[in-house]
Amino acid sequence: MDITEYIKLVFTDYTLRTITLGTAILGAVTGMLGSFAVLRKQSLLGDAISHAALPGIAIAFLITGAKDGNILLLGALVSGLIGTFWIRGIISKTHLKSDTALGLILSLFFGFGMLLITFIQKQPNANQAGLDKYLFGQAATLVERDVWMMALVTGICLFVLLLFWKEFKILLFDADYTKTLGFNTKFIDILITTFIVLAIVLGLQTVGVVLMSAMLLAPAAAARQWTNSLSVMVFLAAIFGAFSGVVGTAISASENNLSTGPVIVLVAGVFVIFSFIFSPSRGLLFKQIRFIRNRRDLQLQKTLSFMFHIAETHENIGHPHAIKILNNFQGFTKGSLQKLVQKNYVKIHGAMWSLTEEGFKTAANLYNQQTQKNE
Amino acid sequence: MSSAQIEIQLIASLVAIACAIPGTFLVLRKMAMISDAISHSILPGIVIGFFITQDLNSPLLIFLAALTGIITVVLVEYIQKTGLVKEDTAIGLVFPILFSIGVIMIAKNANDVHLDVDAVLLGELAFAPFDRMLVYGVDVGPKSLWIIGTILLITVALLIAFFKELKVSTFDAGLAASLGFSPAIIHYGLMAVSSVTTVGAFDAVGAILVVALMISPAATAYLLTNNLKRMLVYAVCFGVISAISGYWLAHFLDASIAGSITTMLGVFFLGVYLFAPNKGIIAVMYREKQQRIEVSLLTFLLHLKNHKEKSERHVNHLNEHINWQKVRSKTVLDLALKNNMIYIDKHIVSLTEKGEGFTSKAITYIITNKDAQIEDMKDDFFLFRG
Amino acid sequence: MSDKIAVKVDDLTVAYNYKPVLWDIDLEIPEGVLMAIVGPNGAGKSTLIKSILGILKPIAGSVEIFGKPYAKQRQIVAYVPQKGSVDWDFPTTALDVVIMGTYGSLGWIKRPRQKEKKAALEALEKVGMLPFKNRQISQLSGGQQQRIFLARALVQNASIYFMDEPFQGVDATTEIAIINILKELRKAGKTVIVVHHDLQTVPEYFDWVTFLNVKKIATGPVKDIFNDDNLTKTYGINYKVSIQE
Ligand SMILES: Nc1ncnc2c1ncn2[C@@H]1O[C@H](COP(=O)(O)OP(=O)(O)OP(=O)(O)O)[C@@H](O)[C@H]1O
Ligand SMILES: [Mg+2]
Repeated sequence: MDITEYIKLVFTDYTLRTITLGTAILGAVTGMLGSFAVLRKQSLLGDAISHAALPGIAIAFLITGAKDGNILLLGALVSGLIGTFWIRGIISKTHLKSDTALGLILSLFFGFGMLLITFIQKQPNANQAGLDKYLFGQAATLVERDVWMMALVTGICLFVLLLFWKEFKILLFDADYTKTLGFNTKFIDILITTFIVLAIVLGLQTVGVVLMSAMLLAPAAAARQWTNSLSVMVFLAAIFGAFSGVVGTAISASENNLSTGPVIVLVAGVFVIFSFIFSPSRGLLFKQIRFIRNRRDLQLQKTLSFMFHIAETHENIGHPHAIKILNNFQGFTKGSLQKLVQKNYVKIHGAMWSLTEEGFKTAANLYNQQTQKNE
Repeated sequence: MSSAQIEIQLIASLVAIACAIPGTFLVLRKMAMISDAISHSILPGIVIGFFITQDLNSPLLIFLAALTGIITVVLVEYIQKTGLVKEDTAIGLVFPILFSIGVIMIAKNANDVHLDVDAVLLGELAFAPFDRMLVYGVDVGPKSLWIIGTILLITVALLIAFFKELKVSTFDAGLAASLGFSPAIIHYGLMAVSSVTTVGAFDAVGAILVVALMISPAATAYLLTNNLKRMLVYAVCFGVISAISGYWLAHFLDASIAGSITTMLGVFFLGVYLFAPNKGIIAVMYREKQQRIEVSLLTFLLHLKNHKEKSERHVNHLNEHINWQKVRSKTVLDLALKNNMIYIDKHIVSLTEKGEGFTSKAITYIITNKDAQIEDMKDDFFLFRG
Repeated sequence: MSDKIAVKVDDLTVAYNYKPVLWDIDLEIPEGVLMAIVGPNGAGKSTLIKSILGILKPIAGSVEIFGKPYAKQRQIVAYVPQKGSVDWDFPTTALDVVIMGTYGSLGWIKRPRQKEKKAALEALEKVGMLPFKNRQISQLSGGQQQRIFLARALVQNASIYFMDEPFQGVDATTEIAIINILKELRKAGKTVIVVHHDLQTVPEYFDWVTFLNVKKIATGPVKDIFNDDNLTKTYGINYKVSIQE
């Protein structure tokens, strides 16, 4: 199937359109809210909450007896929130650290949910009780109603985000200061947390418990590398998330046997790796290049200043000296001499070299420049 | 009890012990979430191992999977070092990506690999007794029992051999390095043991229960003691008791064994979390209340010592000026009177001799930062606590 | 300096986890002074400022700003926190951080506009950081970061400024630049309270001083109370500071 054909299919085929739209919206909202999770140093909260949602789903099912998606969602939300605040309770009231609290709630809630679900279904085998649906999600089961629901929640998220943008930003950056300005930090905090939990719960049906953490973190981690502005970061994260959703769906739809969730996560992962390496300001590649270039510049400067000190001894700075002398200097190579000639700092006459006017000035300035740079 | 039942409980108990030991160190080293990451990211290793051996229980598969676990740790640490993202983000990124690779590898080779990802995550203890170990045609018990038994044996041997090193490097990495143990070797050794245990156990109990069995018993034990040896013993006990009681819970409810064991772990944790004598929530809240009153008392006494003028020592001043609610000022006043720290004469409060002594001593301790001694001093001076 | 009391602290006691770190502090700071709070590490200087600003809840005592509780007077109080309390890798620029100073007067939901931005640029200009306005904050040197936070407080256009060690990690030139700004503030009738560690410069920079070590040791004009006796009481060891006239 080629691309144009596929695009046509997206617009005509109901299932494909629904899934594409659903994963795109989901990617956007998790990317957006994931940025906040990452900046709050709550990256692993996503993983914990997605697991902690399970008993809520089971209990909602037990009470209503129906598999109405929205009621189950509500159950998941409540249980996710209980998990979140319990984690905080454990951290603040006992000497257990955050990693232990996260791991505890994650595994204990999930195990309890597993017990409930297998108990409800009277299926001692967890796989047959339909649990696997929540483990990896099933994008294929998305229907139009789900997409509307996602769009609605995303709309609300966006609205609240824009409304309280300034408050979110300042709380994330400097909580104490926010308090002195008279903002109710607890309220802002609970608002952000609730929306993060909401986004996670929303994604359970599509990408599942296990991969939710990546949906939340990957777009945000990638976006952070390209910008130093919070608004641009959130926007980019939403784009990356949506794009991962669309591309992931396309790849999994055009191949047999590929479930959507893992493919979406891998596409998001590619974004992360690409950003880590190629981001111009923070990326590893450019950092390495800058590092090498700096080192080479430094070597050149050192050679030049060595020559400068030799040239200084003569009244006439253009007085030629033997190249051999330079061999005493560590770090001198033919290449670096060539470079200096290219820059018109040095002239070469056979086996002799001499500094040019320009070279002398540059070398003399070098010392001052160096100290200025360090400031 | 049928022999299958006994075997299941035995396997569950051995898994619980094998998990509790590395788990204790993970919790103490603030690396609990690494175990969650490892339990998921071993999937590609399992898949590759399964391609090669076609046997979930082969040592090669265990080795490859454990290797993936180590790779996860190395990758996480590498990303952390670049400083591009915050520490925990690295963990949250690496394991889902590795896990996804595993899932896709299975999907692409669905015809050759009959490997169920759900089974890896959820496990099914009930089936464990059916996979028998045959030596020269003689049935010597379930395979899982042998695998986990071997892993446990190695873990215990390593624990005994390196107990001192583990202890020192866990509580003081700097000291460990100066004593000549490389913290890195201990670190990666622990990671290796955790990975191998996870791999050995997932087939029987599933990856998520492995996480629960590693973290919960250790965390529960940590609320009861600060002593490493005792913590290990308690963790092992909680693990085993949860495993056995969880099995019977599953039996009666007709529900998942892994889910029931985790639930029992949760019940024990909750119980200890609430009722632990020193660090349980109830004890903490009680102590906080007591300390709040006692600190208020100290504040009050200090105020009396600082101010000779009568207006500052009037009973009503407590309410107005020091800005306390009525209830608290009354409690504090009563406590001070009961302990003979003050006397009240015509609504003017003054320190007794004992009160003077107590206050002066407390000030000295606080200014010289010897807070612990204040608690001892309270025992000397107080007839009644807050 | 007027006769009005800008900050009045009464019987203030503060504890972390019920370990008292400030005991029964009484303090009156007159309007229009440039005051140093001095005391050894862990004396509770940051704690004092934080509890005056309502970041920490005291066990006992009360704080009044111009005769009213702090909650009612937030608009006229600005704060420069001790370094390290923020997330340096946060995606935000120097200008952005300074604009945050206007958030308090904006209140909930309302966004900063051109006017706020202009004020922020002016504040950046004043601290000499205008050329760096688009830098990500972690790419600034320690002294530059300190100046950004000073600008953020300036933009609040307050009457009382609390600064927790604004000279920490700052070179001599920057220190002089900062102290000149503070003196300018005092000239404009503002009250400035600074946690300060360099005892040598106290007489030169400040006109008012408070000695603090868990308890208040002394408070008053520098020329009256900045002497070896109070220093010894505060720092424990025998202190000798030659006071320049
Ligand atoms: N969050 C906290 N929890 C518990 N104790 C704290 C906390 N913050 C400070 N302390 C303790 O309170 C005391 C006073 O701390 P504070 O930060 O106010 O000191 P400081 O005078 O500002 O010191 P420095 O000169 O080092 O900044 C110290 O003994 C410190 O250990
Ligand atoms: Mg301080």
